[in-house]
Amino acid sequence: MATTASPEQNSHDGHDEPTFDGVITRPYKKTGLVGWLTTVDHKKIGVMYGIAALFFLLVGGVEALLIRIQLMGPESDFIDARTYNQLFTMHGTTMIFLAVMPMSAAFFNFIMPLQIGARDVAFPRMNSLGLWTFIAGGILLNLSWFFSEGAPAIGWFGYAPITSNQYSPDLGTEFWIMSLQLLGIASLVGSLNFITTIINMRAPGLSMMRLPVFTWMTLITSFLLILALPPIAVALAELMFDRHFGTHFFNVAGGGRPILWQHLFWIFGHPEVYILILPAMGIISEVLPTFARKPLFGYPLIIFSGAVIGFLGFAVWSHHMFTTGLGLVATTAFSFLTMLISIPTGVKIFNWIGTMWGGKIRFTVPMLFAVGFVWMFMLGGFTGIMHSSVPVDSQHQDSYFVIAHFHYVLIGGSIFALFSGIYYWFPKITGKMMSEMIGRIVFYTMFMGFNLAFFPMHMLGMTGMPRRTHTYKSEMGWDGANYWSTIGALILGLGVAIFIINLIYSVIKGEKASKDPWDARTLEWKTSNPPKEYNFAYTPVVHARDQAWEDKHGPEEKRMVKLAPDHHGIHMPDQSWWPLVVSIGLFVLGIGVVIHATDQFAWWQVMLPGILLTIFGIIAWSLEGPGGYHIFPDAEDQAELDEEAKSSSK
Amino acid sequence: MNKWLPRIWIGILLVVMIASIPACLSSSADDGGFLNLTAKQSTFDPKGPLAEQQIDTFYITLWVTSFLFLAVGGTYLVAIIKFRVKKGDDPNEIPEQAHGHPLIEVGLVVASSALLIIIAIPTFSGIVLMHEIPEQYSEEDIVDVNVIGYQWWFNFEYVEDGFVSANELVIPAGRPVRLNLITKDVIHSFWLPKLSGKLDLMAGQINQMWILADEPGYFWGQCAEYCGDSHAYMLFRAVALEEDAYNEWVAQQQTKTVVEKSTTPLFLSEDDDAGLVALGAELFQGNCLTCHSLDPAQQGAMGAPNLAHFGSRSSIGAGWLENTWSEDGSNADLHLWIKDPDSVKPGNNMWRGFMKAGKHDPNDPKDVMMSGLNQADLSDSDVDALVAYLRNLKHPDAVQFSADTF
Repeated sequence: MATTASPEQNSHDGHDEPTFDGVITRPYKKTGLVGWLTTVDHKKIGVMYGIAALFFLLVGGVEALLIRIQLMGPESDFIDARTYNQLFTMHGTTMIFLAVMPMSAAFFNFIMPLQIGARDVAFPRMNSLGLWTFIAGGILLNLSWFFSEGAPAIGWFGYAPITSNQYSPDLGTEFWIMSLQLLGIASLVGSLNFITTIINMRAPGLSMMRLPVFTWMTLITSFLLILALPPIAVALAELMFDRHFGTHFFNVAGGGRPILWQHLFWIFGHPEVYILILPAMGIISEVLPTFARKPLFGYPLIIFSGAVIGFLGFAVWSHHMFTTGLGLVATTAFSFLTMLISIPTGVKIFNWIGTMWGGKIRFTVPMLFAVGFVWMFMLGGFTGIMHSSVPVDSQHQDSYFVIAHFHYVLIGGSIFALFSGIYYWFPKITGKMMSEMIGRIVFYTMFMGFNLAFFPMHMLGMTGMPRRTHTYKSEMGWDGANYWSTIGALILGLGVAIFIINLIYSVIKGEKASKDPWDARTLEWKTSNPPKEYNFAYTPVVHARDQAWEDKHGPEEKRMVKLAPDHHGIHMPDQSWWPLVVSIGLFVLGIGVVIHATDQFAWWQVMLPGILLTIFGIIAWSLEGPGGYHIFPDAEDQAELDEEAKSSSK
Repeated sequence: MNKWLPRIWIGILLVVMIASIPACLSSSADDGGFLNLTAKQSTFDPKGPLAEQQIDTFYITLWVTSFLFLAVGGTYLVAIIKFRVKKGDDPNEIPEQAHGHPLIEVGLVVASSALLIIIAIPTFSGIVLMHEIPEQYSEEDIVDVNVIGYQWWFNFEYVEDGFVSANELVIPAGRPVRLNLITKDVIHSFWLPKLSGKLDLMAGQINQMWILADEPGYFWGQCAEYCGDSHAYMLFRAVALEEDAYNEWVAQQQTKTVVEKSTTPLFLSEDDDAGLVALGAELFQGNCLTCHSLDPAQQGAMGAPNLAHFGSRSSIGAGWLENTWSEDGSNADLHLWIKDPDSVKPGNNMWRGFMKAGKHDPNDPKDVMMSGLNQADLSDSDVDALVAYLRNLKHPDAVQFSADTF
């Protein structure tokens, strides 16, 4: 274990020590509940993001299965219309905001600082704020189930005017608005942090064009988030004003225009699609080269196309609105731009295949998921090309064809890639291996279940089944496909269940991982499994793109150089209670705004305490100061460093 | 064990996948044929120029993407098979560390752009076609219909001929019909797959689309934008008629079916019990007339379907139930619909009534502006009388359309 001591014992010169701790004594216990609640360690935060995301993935998955069971047969009354509408609203919102996005954030947190040779992120306490605010938002959204009228029933993109007081007077819609605002804060905080970290904290010699692709995609995704979140925050604030204070942003009778909501929503919502898929592409771009034992084919083009996707992603939002009557010119322009965006996406697929071509491919479980990803993402991309054509889209829009399309992109794409990432980085995170055999079973079960669940939906959409309908008549001829789709969904659910069991079992009893179990290529594999709290005992000086690979197989001049820490030791960030306090303040504020709508609570009863707690937390946070202390590499690492020093001095 | 367990499981899954294929290829419950291609709302079975252009464009995108799938997927498959580590390979062998090939990369970008042009051309002509009625049709050929969406039904207003219909759009075959899409509440979407792709009834604006049916026929359509509780029950039917039949239908629809300023039917059927119908007329006056207009030229003030020609409509409750009259004049579905509308279409205003602005509790009298049938307490015999009455709301020569009419 590293030298653990209180800040006082390890301080030097006082240059980076707070003069006082502000309101209360700073926590420094690294274990137990306090250790987890106050942690600023990017690894612990990443793990908590991951656990929360997996939990919400299960919640959203159960909602999906209920939806599928209802649709298994025609005119089923397993669940009623309103419950069904709540389920698909919550399924969409949960999967996007509480499962896929935070799962990506888990990897951003855990892996990215290791890939760039950093000791932590740039703003460790902000990182913690992002985590707790995300969890507060997730809890707030799901609390809606327990209030009188239950969860929102507005669809995950909540088109005005169905979200107005008149058509959705329930509290669910209030929960939806406030929780999305909180989740937006969480994502913004995280994104600013990742951008600062990647730009400023790369190891010496790690130029931008040597960055691992996953880190590049983290950077691009973070930029997308900080540019895409303001429009949705504005839209949600306007909606809240309409509902609480009688403004008329989306109220036709008052001169408002509901189409404004769609523009604001999709100018967020389309980049959001890339926010969900770019991290997945990053993971795939790490896994494929590792298991093909070849560098990524066309690295500059992959990076460039990722950036082009991010840029064009802001110019295609209206393709979600082809059927809203945009007019000839706008429709044509957005159709053209949408076709364009398929090119950089295609480029990535070409380059992945190029990476595998001529390689030595090992089909481990992460590789299976990555290979499955490319197949599924390809199919989802093809149906995407179809939708760029307005005449075709006018038939497909809001039909099951669209459902098939985006599940191919989001499950076959994002989820498969994230699972690939979990199997790939599990030894890094836990120091243990997941079972290869069970992993194979999980992959094939998910792969087949997924295709059985979603491929027939193409046919359902083409033969006229609209989405978001809780039932259908047998005479429409949709029975067979719906029945088997449900069977497929259950198989997919079984696959995920086996995965969860595999995961828990491996955490407890998994085989111990070696230092470099996959013969990997990037810097994170230069640390121990799991990494020490200081990540690297030395400052790595990078000389190549695939540094870990070059160290094993490359020429002498491309080897990494290790700079031992000076006599101060390694500078580490201090823990803090205040991010958690601020998040709790925001949560109370959120609850306050929601129940204010019932007219049973005045603004000062719940809202005000929430505001005060938030402000108090922020002030105490700033009084506390940045903190920081020093530790020294543990004996094992120190011995290694001494060895290194001896051999280089010879 | 380690080796066989996954293989057995994969085998089982494959059997399940294969078992699904017959059911997905053809649905036994209907007459949709192979792959359900001719199902009631199938886009594969176009009956007008718009739907035809749209499915043709779809086929073009399908061919292009299939080609891509074979080319890219094929290469991918070869890469997976050819370059996998095989038995007897040296596990430590390091392949050539190639970083890319600019010519291949740029070449593929150019090639995929070229493929997109194949898709772009029919796309842009399709967009123009959707927006403008071709010049070969003069303004006199065009029929104007206002499509007005409510939660959860469609009102069809025949602007030039001065009458309204509900949930049943009748059009002349071979003539373009211009639809002005208007919503009275939330967003709905007009989708008649065999005639055209959808366009939204967008709150705050009036959208315009056009449709044309090549031949007479009976079509199924559905709201395609989520619009609240009973979205799945917001359906409609469309009927295309020969020119003469259409004109006759228009003339019938313009005819009043009740005596001026009363609810007494003008064309009482001889089979019906006049006393029962009279009771029904009275009940209608008391419970229904405030919302449901019986004057074909007038839409009811509260926005409920016009019932002047209800007896000859083909469906009840916006296309979910068939309007089927049995020999003895009864109509089980209509009975259910009047007796307990909430069980057929949850949340509908006929059951819960209309709320005051900003209020939303149908059970709180202070919130209710106008009460619905949940307060009317109609007995079964009352409903029977209403059913008998509604049967007589039609023109004596009216044809009740169904798929079998054509």
